[in-house]
Amino acid sequence: MNEEKKSKKLKFLSWVLILCGIYFVFLPNRYTQASLLDFFKSEKDGKKEVINLDAFSRIPVLRGGRVKPMDSVARNTLLVLRNKRTALDENDTKVPAIQWLADVLFAPERADELKTFLIDHDQVLGVIGKKLVQDGKHFSYRELEPFIEEIEASAQEAGKVEREFRNYFEQNIIELYHGLVLYRNLKTTLIPPPHAPSSAVHDHAELEPLFYDSEKDKDRTSEYQRFRQLTADLIKHPEKIVLGNKEALGPLMYFIDYYARYNLYAEFFPLPPETGESGGKWRKIGESLVGTEPLESKEKASIDPTRFIATVQSLVRTEEKELVENIQSIRENLKLDSTALFAAQYAEAIKLRKGIDPIIEDYEQLGIAYRNSDAVTFNTLVEKIRNQIDQRAPSDTGTIAFEKTYNGYEPFYRSSIGYIWILVIACSSWLLAGYRKPGIGTNEASKTLLNSAYILTGLVLLAHTFGLAGRMYIEGRPPVTNLYSSALFISWGAVLLCFLTEKFLRLGIASSMGSLIGFGGLVVAHNLSIDSSLNPSGDTMEMMRAVLDSNFWLATHVVTITIGYSTTFLAGFLGIAYVFSLLVRFLFKRENDGRELNSKLLSMIFGVTCFSLFFSLVGTVLGGIWADQSWGRFWGWDAKENGALLIVIWNAIILHARWAGVAKIRGLSALAIFGNVVTAWSWFGTNMLGVGLHAYGFMDKAFMPLMIFIGAQVAVIGLAYLPALFGLLTRKKDIQVI
Amino acid sequence: MPPKNKGLSSLSERRKRFGWLIPFADLRLTLTLLSLSMVLIFVATLEQVRVGIRGAQAEFFESMYGIWYYPTQFWGGEYFDSIPIPIPGGYLLGGLLILNLLAAFITRFQWTGKKMGIQFIHLGIIMLLVGQLATQAMQEESRMQIDKGESKNYLERFHGVELAFIDVTNPDTEQVVALPQDLLEEGGIHYAKDLPFKVKVLDFGPNCEFNSLPPAQKISGPAKGVNRGVIQTANLEIRPKPEDFSSEGMNFGYVVFELFDGSESLGTWAAISHPAGNHWWAQINPKMGDLAFQPIRTNGRLWGATLRPQREYLPYSIELLGIANEFYQGTDIPFNFESEIVLRMEENQTRRALVYMNTPLRHAGKTFYQYQMNKAADYTVFQVVRNPSWLVPYIACILVSIGLLWQFSFHLLRFLTKSSKAGLASS
Repeated sequence: MNEEKKSKKLKFLSWVLILCGIYFVFLPNRYTQASLLDFFKSEKDGKKEVINLDAFSRIPVLRGGRVKPMDSVARNTLLVLRNKRTALDENDTKVPAIQWLADVLFAPERADELKTFLIDHDQVLGVIGKKLVQDGKHFSYRELEPFIEEIEASAQEAGKVEREFRNYFEQNIIELYHGLVLYRNLKTTLIPPPHAPSSAVHDHAELEPLFYDSEKDKDRTSEYQRFRQLTADLIKHPEKIVLGNKEALGPLMYFIDYYARYNLYAEFFPLPPETGESGGKWRKIGESLVGTEPLESKEKASIDPTRFIATVQSLVRTEEKELVENIQSIRENLKLDSTALFAAQYAEAIKLRKGIDPIIEDYEQLGIAYRNSDAVTFNTLVEKIRNQIDQRAPSDTGTIAFEKTYNGYEPFYRSSIGYIWILVIACSSWLLAGYRKPGIGTNEASKTLLNSAYILTGLVLLAHTFGLAGRMYIEGRPPVTNLYSSALFISWGAVLLCFLTEKFLRLGIASSMGSLIGFGGLVVAHNLSIDSSLNPSGDTMEMMRAVLDSNFWLATHVVTITIGYSTTFLAGFLGIAYVFSLLVRFLFKRENDGRELNSKLLSMIFGVTCFSLFFSLVGTVLGGIWADQSWGRFWGWDAKENGALLIVIWNAIILHARWAGVAKIRGLSALAIFGNVVTAWSWFGTNMLGVGLHAYGFMDKAFMPLMIFIGAQVAVIGLAYLPALFGLLTRKKDIQVI
Repeated sequence: MPPKNKGLSSLSERRKRFGWLIPFADLRLTLTLLSLSMVLIFVATLEQVRVGIRGAQAEFFESMYGIWYYPTQFWGGEYFDSIPIPIPGGYLLGGLLILNLLAAFITRFQWTGKKMGIQFIHLGIIMLLVGQLATQAMQEESRMQIDKGESKNYLERFHGVELAFIDVTNPDTEQVVALPQDLLEEGGIHYAKDLPFKVKVLDFGPNCEFNSLPPAQKISGPAKGVNRGVIQTANLEIRPKPEDFSSEGMNFGYVVFELFDGSESLGTWAAISHPAGNHWWAQINPKMGDLAFQPIRTNGRLWGATLRPQREYLPYSIELLGIANEFYQGTDIPFNFESEIVLRMEENQTRRALVYMNTPLRHAGKTFYQYQMNKAADYTVFQVVRNPSWLVPYIACILVSIGLLWQFSFHLLRFLTKSSKAGLASS
């Protein structure tokens, strides 16, 4: 009777634990904005009277080479600026990313007051006259504005130091400066920077009436219309394009230069390819009005005015079809002729860029509605913009809705919490197992916890897998494309292997070590995502460099080599588990209890190392073949290649040491733990050298954490020999006594 | 059964016959060698920061031993950086590992089907090692730079220069005589039957610094005795520098030479090679433009002298039709470098080809990889590799894969039979 009651209790306990896990990992909770359920729901229709930022966040734009929802732009830029995916208002209340972005884009005055920037380096704080203890570490643009010149000067000074040799202050000040530029560019993406005609070149009185006037004009498109009238006039009367005709050309040239420069200050591309246009090129607003400058602006100083004007005139005179060809031919054949190149751009701006993209006007009106809190207009316009983009760029917008929900679901954040939960449960099971009172079958409870941990591992692994699969779906790539995703994948591989091991050996060791690696890997990944030297745009799904742009090799070489990393780490963590079990037994004087456990751990470490050798060897060899295909040599002693080779050799050493009988369980564990050091070196250390072909993943901040990790591994190896040393010492004493 | 009949397939027989090999097959030797290889690879990787990949390769991987100094930047560097630490080199460890593996093959491995996997794996590893040694001995790397619309029929070495004399008296039939770097390093007097003069190499160096001094000032250094040519007119002072092995290293090789007609000296010249091509001299300083071609008149013929990257002429040529260098929109991440070319082969055959990332052009034992590209100046650079042993690693990989598969299937089979037996027993 009592037994039955207890088993019911235990069953209940395990259900509670598992449900807690499911809540963390899949269900709606207050820590994330979306849940698994949201992937199956269609978009919510917001209330008409409330500004629907959810719909706004789904507008597709192009940033960093990829079309993504506005939501991703908001989150990624905040990740760069504040290392978080939210902003803070004056009262330190969290502001959702998309609301922050809407403020930045449409109501910059309001956004400037929000705490957007993270500054936690005391000396950088010194530059803006703040103290960490007193003023905190979050600042608004308004607070930084007076110091921009100083920050820029310091950053430029720091920029002169080579990247590898910059100290923390230099790194941080450069980062802050980049952050300020990013923020300013965001502000001038949809609203152009203020007019500033130079009085030396331009006639102010002539230009003034053409500029946007917030009192008279309905929005900025009025100014764009006036500009188009200027060009329309010249198309009709090309003879007006002559040197010295200031009346016709002065304002025109001012506007072309101004709009072309506006391109440089816009952070993303809001306008989809025009209807009927091939090539799928997205545009910034300035680009839509006048195209882009063919060379840097300063090259304009070297153009020959007479020939420039003559070329513009003759180009504008030609028929449109011919003009397109002529411009094409200039761009292809006269690449070093700045006069011809700029003339081609002017001709394009005058004759080929026609009308005003309707989406520009919609964004203008959207801004006005947002500032006036006119929800109805805002929501209709968002709908209109999205419809137009869907029509004009149907092939770019397929994954937008998914990405938006995926962002809110935050699968890796959820998984990392899940892993902690598993670790806690697995560790508690050991405590219960060790706590044996006669008469009470606590082993049953311990077993229940072990089983729950096992089931939870499976569930969290599902969420982790979903996270990886989601990235693959959005990117259209194999799972590992950069350092960030390698951390996700390494932890995933280790957890998967642990899950399978735990299926056969229900000891809790695989569960706990798996969750430890899973959590550790996700933490590493998070830190990589906020390392702005590695991830300057904040988007962890950045585009691949040409040489890496091969899904075949990414799917074979990169995946196998990463599995090699993860199995080597797993063997190392099993080694650590052995050391701790050894220490516990030593402390409680139960040295002889662990024979069975030891032999199980031994076979686990050995088996996992076999896997490691296989994957790292195959992965390295595949890498060699890839290198042979793309660089002409199978092996080039490149730093990253050498790192991979070190792992292969180290695994071979472990296995041969076992076969030679040199290493027993303790030696094997110690060797496996050192494998962690070798793998960490190969994974990160080689990137810090800044040499070789794989140096594109250069990073400067990870040095200290890497050293700490290595130090910790060495310390654990030392601990493995502590009992033996202790035994040696005490035995000696005994001898002396005798 | 008498042991004679067993032959070499029997392990005990082999151990008897090759008893002296047994110590070399020791697993502990394997462990030592592998551990030392780790030290070697680690140190050589660190040294790449200081001396570049090529420098580290020459110092550590392609040698019997290398000397390493603890880096000053490291913890405690100021105390330890003067102690020379000998590190066993790639040739030493590679050779010993091959010996160790072969000895193990003969005196330790059982030549049975059951152990075939192990044999294949190790055979593959021996091939990888041998293949790498062969590659380092035989592989040649050069570059080929082609301007758009132009056609090229020669390669230039990445490293190594030649002193070329070009007879341009008759513009239709250029005649070139070149002294390769080996001869320049050797120094001394060189003759060639097509050269109307003897060349005495007075000084040569793989890298130098130079600057133009005011006309009145006397120059010192290797170019001191120069009395003809550009170095003299531009009053260039040359200061020798050690060769820079890093990947971005720019090496300006120089040579000082005296020409003799019989025993009569024609004068002393000096020449410097520009690592990016001698046409760059004119851009650096118009006075130095002639470094691409220093005229020498003798016996009514016009010769030109120049020090340039060593060339290899090909029996075929490559014409560049166009290049494409595309970036992801709004980023500076390239997604494509591509050169469109026409290969003009022997016997007037032609072939069009696209050379881009991960897709090189292979022709006549050479492989052309897309290496660099300049969109504004419209030229492309191919890296050209001749590696006769390129197939070896592929065969080795196949062997290792077969070995691993064999071994795994064997284990799996054993596991399955075991569990099915267990299943039978339990039922």
